[in-house]
Amino acid sequence: MIAALLRRRRVLAGPLAVVAVAVVVGSVLFMAGGAAHGQTGQSLLVSTNSSDILAGQTLYDTHCESCHGYEGKGGVTSAPALVSVGAAAADFYLTTGRMPLNNPANQALRHHPYFDRTQIRQLDAYIAALPGITGDGPPGPAIPTVAPLCSSPSGSGGSGGSGNRSGSGSGCVTLSEGESGFALNCAECHQAAGSGGMLSKGNVIPTLRNANITQVAEAMRVGPKPMPVFGPKEISNKEMSAIAHYVEYLHQPASPGGLRISGFGPIAEGFVGIVFGFGILLFAVRMIGTRG
Amino acid sequence: MSTTQERADTQKRFTLAKKGFDEADDRFASSRWFVSVLDKIFPDHWSFMVGEIALDSLILLILTGVYLTFFFIPNSRDVVYAPTAGHVYAPLVGQHMSEAYQSVLNISFNVRFGLLMRQAHHWAALVFLAAVVFHLCRIFFTGAFRKPRETNWIIGLTLWMIVMLEGFTGYSLPDDLLSGTGIRVIYSVLEGIPFVGTWITYDLWGGRYPGTTFITRLFIVHEFIFPALIVGLLSAHLMILWRQKHTDFPGPGKTETNIRGSRVWPQYAMKAGGLAMIVSGVIFALAGLVQINPVWIYGPYTPYTVSTGSTPDWYVAWLDGAVRLWPHWEFRSFGHEIANPFFPGLLIPGVVFTLMYLWPVVDRKIYNDHERHNLLDRPRDKPFRTGVGVAAIVFFADLTLATGDDILSNNLHIPFERILEVLQYGVVIGPVAGFLIAYKACKALQRTDAHPIRHPVGGMIVRAADGSYHTLGEAHAPHAGEDGYVEVEKAEEHAEEHAEGR
Repeated sequence: MIAALLRRRRVLAGPLAVVAVAVVVGSVLFMAGGAAHGQTGQSLLVSTNSSDILAGQTLYDTHCESCHGYEGKGGVTSAPALVSVGAAAADFYLTTGRMPLNNPANQALRHHPYFDRTQIRQLDAYIAALPGITGDGPPGPAIPTVAPLCSSPSGSGGSGGSGNRSGSGSGCVTLSEGESGFALNCAECHQAAGSGGMLSKGNVIPTLRNANITQVAEAMRVGPKPMPVFGPKEISNKEMSAIAHYVEYLHQPASPGGLRISGFGPIAEGFVGIVFGFGILLFAVRMIGTRG
Repeated sequence: MSTTQERADTQKRFTLAKKGFDEADDRFASSRWFVSVLDKIFPDHWSFMVGEIALDSLILLILTGVYLTFFFIPNSRDVVYAPTAGHVYAPLVGQHMSEAYQSVLNISFNVRFGLLMRQAHHWAALVFLAAVVFHLCRIFFTGAFRKPRETNWIIGLTLWMIVMLEGFTGYSLPDDLLSGTGIRVIYSVLEGIPFVGTWITYDLWGGRYPGTTFITRLFIVHEFIFPALIVGLLSAHLMILWRQKHTDFPGPGKTETNIRGSRVWPQYAMKAGGLAMIVSGVIFALAGLVQINPVWIYGPYTPYTVSTGSTPDWYVAWLDGAVRLWPHWEFRSFGHEIANPFFPGLLIPGVVFTLMYLWPVVDRKIYNDHERHNLLDRPRDKPFRTGVGVAAIVFFADLTLATGDDILSNNLHIPFERILEVLQYGVVIGPVAGFLIAYKACKALQRTDAHPIRHPVGGMIVRAADGSYHTLGEAHAPHAGEDGYVEVEKAEEHAEEHAEGR
């Protein structure tokens, strides 16, 4: 029986090869697909403790002052003044590792954070205290608080609270609000699945797969260049919270139908279709047919 | 016992088959025709079966498509996606969407086998077009379009054009963000037709964009008009193929007037049937394992939203790429501006298709060859034609890459403008370079063919009774070109000189 099968190996080669290639490719893709996980969002309250502020100042003087100037008043380089940027900006740039920047001419992109949690907390405290220390400039945006997700998908708990600005209290948000807000405000640059893109002049639009809830909320309020600022007048705290939750949802969306390759859209699908669909069939045909 | 049993079974099968044939023959007098069909011979070369991959994918497309029509609602009516029985996609609950999009969500989440069928339909489309394009290239590079097969070349090109449009209409039907963006691009291209564009779009969309009737009309085009055209033209394509018989590569015993290969029954039927199984196996494996077009992630279409990285499916990507690469030139005539998308969106494909339709005539002129051909060319033997084909492939590839310009620049970390520039120059320089390289490569391959090492002393070595050896079969075959002779002579002279020197 087995001998007979072996004799017919040429006949079986096509289907076997199809199965083998499918299994190998499938497992590789599967392992790759499960890799991207987001960190959980955590709310950071800015410390007003004077010892934290002092520690932050020391860190600032060592690592930041050469570009951003004494007491955040702006330096000789193009680095912006930090007096009124607020804790949100400090927290966003530092937790995402965008600052400190090796070369001020480069776009600040996500990196491993240079400072640890405590140091970031101290620097946040210092930046938040700058308007008080220098005495000029209004206070900047604080680290935004993200409202919780409603327990029901239709959001019956929070539908009434349209005037809810703080995001606390009764106002919970739904993924649906987040989806529509994301499609309207974010997808045109960050792509519908949050996989990022490209702007002109080499400016990168980062993927959102690594951004946690707080960072997404901060980014909207801060507008890290070249992204515009989405202030509370454009996007309410509630909408901001919903979008942040939706972005976190996009890290691992409900994904029926197999391996996710579609964060990159139809071009990637075409590649898979041609290589792993048509390619395998071409191989099968080569096995069935002759060369002469 | 078993032998007797087997013999009886065989006898029974034979009687049944005979009875069946007899019954048919009594009514249709079909035996002669049927036998001739079963005895028809097709050549065995593997590349001739790629057209069958296309045919099998088309059958799968029709079957899965029919299943989808049971559940798809081609209506732009606005509905609110609400929790119902069964699975509901939470991030879209409460949103306004068209009934068409909602029905696609239902197909994906609620209908039994719905998502599998949808994905199989989409994957089959991608594979189908790949097979069609490969088939087209095979026909071109081997000169299979030459007399007497020009008609089938024209039918084939028309089929290619229609299946591209069919694919695009299917891509546009779900009414998700990606579909809507694609429709908007097409709208702008059509609107760009000089003088009549606005009228045409107004008529097609039944009013201003986006209107409320377009999805319904698109559905009729996708599910009735284009399939009818495809099936009709494909039948003609195959009937002509049957009548004119298949071409084959030159080889031992193959002439312009004979065909070597396998009979339809049983060999070819088994091969083709097996291939059909493999095709459906691979496509359904993809459909079950790899997600395609997650419409729920893209969300419902609204004219004021868009996602970056929006591209069409790969087979029409070259048209989108042309639109992306076309410079921002303005043309005015008689006081009218000719809208920019008209040139890359309609003029370029128009020119490309006209050239392709005319190619058999051009080819006849170039090679001054008006003979009937049933034997194929090896691509290397027609360097100019092969060069033109490679140039065309480079042209299409450059435009297809241009569709993914933002994805490319993001993943390669190259500025977007640089990629555009490279591809803009590439679409002009690339085909020329491709032509030259292919031409030179063909010439070089021809010389390789003529080299003595390609023609070893052939046949079988036989030992005679007296103990001497000699070869049977082909003796040292004459070399293909004169060059070959020269080289052999040179080599021999060289060897002699060498020997004398020793």
